[in-house]
Amino acid sequence: MTADLLPLWVLLSSLVASVAIFGLSERRVATRTAINLVAAVVKLALVAVMLWGVYQGARYEVRVAFVPGADLLLRSDPLSLLFISLSAVLWLATTIYAVGYLEGAPDRSRFFGFFSLCVASTMGIALAGNLLTFFLFYELLTLSTYPLVVHRGTAASLAAGDRYLAYTLLGGGLLLVGVAWLHATAGGLEFTVGGALPPPGDAAPSYVACFALLVAGLGVKAALVPLHGWLPVAMVAPAPVSALLHAVAVVKAGAFGIARVIYDVYGVRLADTLGLLRPLAAVAATTIVYGSLRALTQDDLKRRLASSTVSQLSYIVLGVATFGQIATVGGLVHLVHQGLMKIVMFFCAGNLADELELHRVSELDGVGRRMPLTMAAFTVAALGMIGLPPVAGFVTKWYLGAGALDAGAPWVVGVLLTSSLLNAAYFLPIVYRAWFGVRREAWPPPAGRLEVRPTLLGPTVVVAALALAAGVFAATELSPLRWVELIAAQEYGP
Amino acid sequence: MSALATLAPALALAAPLLLAALLVVPRLRALVARAAPLAALPALALALAPAASAPLELPGVLLDVRLGAVDAVARGFLTFTAILWLVAAWSAHAYLGDHPRRAGFWAWFLLAMAGNLGVVLAGDQVSFYLWYAVMSLAAYGLIVHDRTDAARHAGKVYLIMALLGDVLVLAALLLASGGGDNLALAAVPAAVAASPHAGLIGVLLLAGFGVKVGAVLPLHVWLPLAHPVAPAPARALLSGAMIKAGLLGWLRFLPLGELAQPALGAAWIALGLTAAFHGAVVGVTQRDAKTVLAYSSISQMGLMMVGVGVALTAPAAAPIATLAVVAFAGHHALAKGLLFLATAVIGPGLGRLGRALLAVGLGWLALELIGAPLTGGAEAKHALAVVTAHGPRPALVAALLSVAAIGTTLLMARTLWLLAARVREPAASAGPPPPGLWLPWAALVAADLALRLRDASLGPLLEPGALWKATWPLAAGLLVIAAAAALARRGARLPQVPAGDVLVGFAGLGARAAAFGRALADRAERVDAGLRARRARLDLGGRLARAGRALDRLDDGAARFGVVGLVLAALFGGLVALLAGGA
Repeated sequence: MTADLLPLWVLLSSLVASVAIFGLSERRVATRTAINLVAAVVKLALVAVMLWGVYQGARYEVRVAFVPGADLLLRSDPLSLLFISLSAVLWLATTIYAVGYLEGAPDRSRFFGFFSLCVASTMGIALAGNLLTFFLFYELLTLSTYPLVVHRGTAASLAAGDRYLAYTLLGGGLLLVGVAWLHATAGGLEFTVGGALPPPGDAAPSYVACFALLVAGLGVKAALVPLHGWLPVAMVAPAPVSALLHAVAVVKAGAFGIARVIYDVYGVRLADTLGLLRPLAAVAATTIVYGSLRALTQDDLKRRLASSTVSQLSYIVLGVATFGQIATVGGLVHLVHQGLMKIVMFFCAGNLADELELHRVSELDGVGRRMPLTMAAFTVAALGMIGLPPVAGFVTKWYLGAGALDAGAPWVVGVLLTSSLLNAAYFLPIVYRAWFGVRREAWPPPAGRLEVRPTLLGPTVVVAALALAAGVFAATELSPLRWVELIAAQEYGP
Repeated sequence: MSALATLAPALALAAPLLLAALLVVPRLRALVARAAPLAALPALALALAPAASAPLELPGVLLDVRLGAVDAVARGFLTFTAILWLVAAWSAHAYLGDHPRRAGFWAWFLLAMAGNLGVVLAGDQVSFYLWYAVMSLAAYGLIVHDRTDAARHAGKVYLIMALLGDVLVLAALLLASGGGDNLALAAVPAAVAASPHAGLIGVLLLAGFGVKVGAVLPLHVWLPLAHPVAPAPARALLSGAMIKAGLLGWLRFLPLGELAQPALGAAWIALGLTAAFHGAVVGVTQRDAKTVLAYSSISQMGLMMVGVGVALTAPAAAPIATLAVVAFAGHHALAKGLLFLATAVIGPGLGRLGRALLAVGLGWLALELIGAPLTGGAEAKHALAVVTAHGPRPALVAALLSVAAIGTTLLMARTLWLLAARVREPAASAGPPPPGLWLPWAALVAADLALRLRDASLGPLLEPGALWKATWPLAAGLLVIAAAAALARRGARLPQVPAGDVLVGFAGLGARAAAFGRALADRAERVDAGLRARRARLDLGGRLARAGRALDRLDDGAARFGVVGLVLAALFGGLVALLAGGA
């Protein structure tokens, strides 16, 4: 095992787990759990080694000829490490959560098999070194997520699955056309810091068209309005899947892809010159406000969270599509911050559903007394989403706002602050009901000493603490913020 | 500089936070309630310490926060803030008794205390905003403590307005920062002065901090609603200490002394004077002493706004204007805080001696607030009058300030009259108030009186001009009261303006805004539905679903996903093998 093959090992750790679990009979719970956890921990360790290496300046690369003119290429750079570290950490948390959440449920081999496959694809997306490799893993992610969305097999989840496939396959198609066209126009297109495309010359119109195709294809997963319709429906899936969709893998793959296309394919300067950023920023701003408006009226807790994801994801896109180093920092760091905060919220929704069968916001009166730690975690995440210090969300808002002013786009600050108020308007009622609401009858008592099973409570509390830490220690050496500043400095480098 | 002096600001903040953390352990809660007054002691010691403390830098924490050096402004604010929290914590213990939610009260109380002290001690933009937000949110918990409908309504109005204010403040901070750097507070005024957006920043600060100050009409509406419903110690703290944090925000972030902003300054002065009169006029019509006092706070904060306005207009006068405003804030904090605390002491169970002592104390506090000759209030008002000489239309402003003092006289008379009526009420619960409630109050009133007697700088106050200025509004006010009393005997009654005055009009507006919001949301729903319908016509999903179902039929049973999964994994494995082979 040479260090160069590290990206491959990271992929394999999930893939092997996936194959092993598919082959496992349904009853071998302990073995399955052991495989899941060992795979998650091994991957985390491998990612940590790779992170350290990349921090020291090393780059790992695995390349093989695939089709003429394009290789399959896995490569680790700071941007891919940002995504991979987030996914590896949250995958471990989600695996533990899922083991607890699905205790006693049917079809768990199938579930965890696809679950691992899903994460393996995400690792591929993050490590992809060119558009072709990116595309392959992007499609694998679509296919391996579908069985998770329809896992329950109910009519609602099958309908959600149909919707999901319709949207994502359409997006995949657009992406494929874009990749092929750009390939024909400009050649191999390995991701390069500062941009891979040669100066456009006569090809500028093709560049613009390809950009539109690529972003539309990626925008489906990133839930840009009007391509977002699948996300709120897909919330019928079990809580760990929601976590996967909303924080660890799927939507992140879209946002990450948009960042890759802008920074490492087109290059932010070229994208700006071609006038590609402004329209994208406008779409993102629209999405931010639209998602929040939709979230206001949802009584179903997970639906409200899903609408909020639509809004919050576009913070990333907005930051990435605003020309300026500070805005880039704000956008990319939200990749991590949104993941941490939103996964906590879905874990909490899962806890409420699992322990007390609560699914609606209007049922949450007084639940803070029965499940204090769960609701404390939710409160931390909600305050972060609103953008209050010291939670991570504040750091995002600060950099996005400052970046927008720096880029001469003060209207973005207006959008951000409107979104803050809207966030408060749909998250604080939940917090209010939990802590200040009055419930007449008693809650059913917990089965054990804790408010909910430790496998559910542990990940919830730990990730909430991480969301807090990402804000409180934002300016320390190994924080997501510092890492992202490194990336942005390179992308805007001389 | 010793280590203790450097760490003192951190200690002052850590004390309430640590106590709040101890509340998690049920067995320690009673201890926390007893120890709460002590949490203000490090801050008080820091305020009174002769040596200046050095700024404490915490690199790495939240965009490199700093706790600032204790400058003159911080020292002034810290003194009255710490004293007020100490006394309020002391009396809150007796006030709560065995209230079932007392643990929750202490949690909010200690958090709000940390926030309030943190705002004063903050050394940079981000930590100011952090503590300001902590205080804002924690104060909500104090306001809704009683969980009555009125408290919940007041809490809701407060929270909505506070968040609105916070968001505007954040916009101002971002504009002031320019490039995203977290500026030290000492560098902010110069940065704002140099910013091309100085005017916009000023407007954002006016509205943003104005919500908290309560004197920027119509952003004051939360104040008369929140004060009567909050528990007495919280009431005292809201008016005494917490709304002053907004004032401190102005002193910290406006380019005072760096840039002349005559238009903004005039707006500050005009709004301040408007609030001074509005508070008096609406306040005297109230039927609850607590609401009258709340309106009096609006009026008094308006006077402080005048000082800020002068500093904005005339940079040369900014240093003395700032000091005058800080002194006025300290004077008002103690007098108003004690008046609010007295509303909890007073009741039908008081004995004869108690009534007499209370009457003396209340009378003294009222005279203080009116600024009667030789009181601390007279001193504060005199300083403010000196400052206004540097601003626009000095004669007019000075005259209006004196007229405002008539209003204060009326408000105080109304308060005392309403409180006296409370004593005569039939006793619902007999028995004198517990010593824990009146002792802190009496101690502080006595201390205030004694300090006044000891080190009053009477010189300038004894000049005939100053003496006359302090006396005539009081006399005029008394005349008005006499006339009103005569009218009242003939059966004339004051009209009552509902507490929150213009909010009643806003409520209609708010309902309309809510309807608009709902319409917007409906609209979004319809757009979504339209998209859905269009998709349904395309029936892509349907076709795919049919294809999917056909596949389902191909291999039915639970195993089907396992098979598909293995195929996918094989595909995946093929890719990986390719990669591995090429490496």
